[in-house]
Amino acid sequence: MSEDETRNKEKMNTPQSSNFRPGAMLPNASISRKLREFYDAVQEEGIPDRFLDLLERLEEAEKSAESANAK
Amino acid sequence: MTTDQENDDRAFKRDLLASLPNLRAFAVSLTGRHDKADDLVQDTIMKAWANQKSFTAGTNMRAWLFTILRNEFYSQMRKRGREVQDSDGLFSERFSVHPEQYGRLDLQDFRKALDTLPDDQREAIILVGAAGFAYEEAATICGCAVGTIKSRVSRARTRLQEILGVSGEGDFGPDPGDAAITARAFGS
Repeated sequence: MSEDETRNKEKMNTPQSSNFRPGAMLPNASISRKLREFYDAVQEEGIPDRFLDLLERLEEAEKSAESANAK
Repeated sequence: MTTDQENDDRAFKRDLLASLPNLRAFAVSLTGRHDKADDLVQDTIMKAWANQKSFTAGTNMRAWLFTILRNEFYSQMRKRGREVQDSDGLFSERFSVHPEQYGRLDLQDFRKALDTLPDDQREAIILVGAAGFAYEEAATICGCAVGTIKSRVSRARTRLQEILGVSGEGDFGPDPGDAAITARAFGS
């Protein structure tokens, strides 16, 4: 039981130390999870139509420029 | 036009499309707004398309696109005369998130916290922590040393932890009831 208390105290006193573990990338699970959640939420929106239209227009412009050059 | 050329063009367009959701998420993180982000992505697509020849097929298209988008973002910011570097935290103070928002974090709170970071720290933690780049790739995209990226990521993480009131403990978001019980249990 006293061992448990000691462990609890250690736990309470050392939460910051995990932030400085060398070589650990983004050790804070909450921060990195929220970061990815936020980022993925945007990624999952997919590709808006305006970009698909834009790429099509760019492609067509390129093709017509090429055929104009070929003449 | 050769068949090889046609294949390259198709591959270019395919890879560009595949990178767009990730690129767009990066743009949203940089600008903080969907409408501005989409304008930025549009400019990036046009730049990338115009510079197709300068892209070496088979190399990292995603990193190339991120670099273009980032350069575009900062050059637009400069044109508008907005202060972009804010390592002193003046910007952060104006947009500080209040401690009442501690506890259960929704994405809106996280978004606000992210907005308080200086631009250089925010982009670093996004590139490494969310976009899936290695430190080395992030350094190339940002045009700085690997060590600089590492220290920016570390400072960003510390700052987010402070703002959001999370530490190593309680990472998994206890509900407010549990938190109160825990506080009482350890309060005396």
